[in-house]
Amino acid sequence: MLLDYDRLGWLRAALLGFTGLVAAFLLLPVVFIVLLSFGSSRWLAFPPPGWTLKWYEELFADPAWLEAALTSARIATMAAILAVVIGLLASFALVRGQFRGRNTLRGLLLTPMVLPVVVFAIAIYAFFLRIGLGGTTAGFVIAHTVLALPFAIIPITAALEGFDKSIEDAAIVCGASPFEAKLRVTLPAIKIGIFSAAIFAFLASWDEVVVAIFMASPTLQTLPVKIWGSLRQDLSPVIAAASSLLVLLTLSLMIVTSLIRRKLSK
Amino acid sequence: MTEPFLSIRDLRKAFGSFVAVHDVTIDIPRGEFLTFLGPSGSGKSTTLYAIAGFQQPTSGDVLLKGRSLLSVPSHKRNIGMVFQRYTLFQHLTVAENVAFPLRVRRRPDAEVKRKVAEMLSLVRLESFGGRYPGALSGGQQQRVALARALAYDPPILLMDEPLSALDKKLREEIQAEIRRIHRETGVTILYVTHDQDEALHLSDRIALFRDGRIEQIGSGEDLYLRPQSEFVASFIGNSNFLPAEHLETVNGAATIRLADGSVVSGVRNDREFRHGQKTRLMVRPEAFRMRPGPATAGLAVEFIDTAFFGERRRVIARTAAGQEIDVRPTSDMAQAQEGIAPRGQQIFFDPAAAFLFPA
Repeated sequence: MLLDYDRLGWLRAALLGFTGLVAAFLLLPVVFIVLLSFGSSRWLAFPPPGWTLKWYEELFADPAWLEAALTSARIATMAAILAVVIGLLASFALVRGQFRGRNTLRGLLLTPMVLPVVVFAIAIYAFFLRIGLGGTTAGFVIAHTVLALPFAIIPITAALEGFDKSIEDAAIVCGASPFEAKLRVTLPAIKIGIFSAAIFAFLASWDEVVVAIFMASPTLQTLPVKIWGSLRQDLSPVIAAASSLLVLLTLSLMIVTSLIRRKLSK
Repeated sequence: MTEPFLSIRDLRKAFGSFVAVHDVTIDIPRGEFLTFLGPSGSGKSTTLYAIAGFQQPTSGDVLLKGRSLLSVPSHKRNIGMVFQRYTLFQHLTVAENVAFPLRVRRRPDAEVKRKVAEMLSLVRLESFGGRYPGALSGGQQQRVALARALAYDPPILLMDEPLSALDKKLREEIQAEIRRIHRETGVTILYVTHDQDEALHLSDRIALFRDGRIEQIGSGEDLYLRPQSEFVASFIGNSNFLPAEHLETVNGAATIRLADGSVVSGVRNDREFRHGQKTRLMVRPEAFRMRPGPATAGLAVEFIDTAFFGERRRVIARTAAGQEIDVRPTSDMAQAQEGIAPRGQQIFFDPAAAFLFPA
């Protein structure tokens, strides 16, 4: 092969260096935020003059932060459940269905991923204001479900495409109704895809900020919105602490996911 | 007349303008092992899937004990089926797989347990109940699939090329298992394959499909010894087709002239051919003899090559007209083993064991 890694010679070192730079570029901001959240300077100075946990203390002392985190979790959970259920039904139609406009429908369902988020946010904000959903949990969940749907549909359609329909047919010949066959045979077979869909959909809502800013009201704020709001008021290291916790939660979710996936695929 | 157990009447399946199955009619008695044999795309699987309920036929009917199955959804037809691909439920153990059809029928636990044990012993996998399908070989998986398909005592078992994913040795082993299970359970089996050896080995009767129609139906012997068309003759067993000119047929015995000018009489023929009409004479490779017999005809050939296959030897010969033919003498082995003979060699065949087909 032309680009065989073992035969790249000196290019190999260059490649490694470049990869390292890209990784550093992506990771360093996160590292700095985490370091700053433990720094004693009020002004986010780096390197910090000393180390402290007081920003975390402040964070946990303010019920508004906790409430924002719980709101985020609640909305993300509901959006993930809705996105998985709708995504599952849509995936069956997209993979198994034989109707005109199937590819168009697939494209349509995936548009939230390619559409500029701000465009989507303004559109849905205007629409929800008119029908009275602005600033409500329901509006928030619906908006995030739309955003999360592509992240649910992609892994589920992939799993369903890799599943041999003969197995479902075998269950039907065995006497299971088509619905029972899907429930007892097809769903267990694509459970990894469904699980991935749930995690990705949850994360898509969990750290979403643009649509959330439009959907939020003074009484309904998700964690990213709260961070954004605080950032504009005062640049306190509490924000760094909140961000670090956000990163920590996302990171642990990813780790747990990969552990469970490994277990499921055994 | 008593009605047949399973009856396929004028079954037709069209996909747009393409007709996959052309008005197929078969009556199948209870307990028969019937094989649908044919090349791919000949309509054999489509016919099977129509019986299973996965294909809605365009017209025609499928009757089980006189009752039409077509309005019955697949899961209520109570038919057993083994598929070409592995269709075990990967998240269930072998025992749970076999129990699945009984569980969806809400049978009591004790009966499920007893039946699963009975089925696993039928396919000789008693000790595999607790394993997952992923830990089984392909042959074992298909045996579990067979046990699962028979667990609810279906009146009919459909098998769609169940052995095509297995290697030759394993295939033969499981063929023997299938025969034994058919004998022991007495279930009516419809079996689809494109492998003529498999069909001959397993079946009571074979329906040979071609382009959506049944070309000939009968026992393996019927199809082999009395092929009704050149297609049947070439699909079942090996055959040589020699161009021949029809001279006359008297009382079912034809006289023909071969390409090298030699005249052969006594060829079995029940078709109407004109004098001088071009025909093809079919001679099985094993019908050739190295020595003349009482009523044999001779054919001048030159031996080109010979290969040893253990139980028999295959000789490639070239006729005087330059056509290569396949010769597998069953007797006169000693002579055949002498290898390639000089020019001017003659081989012999019984005209009554040869067939005449339209060119």
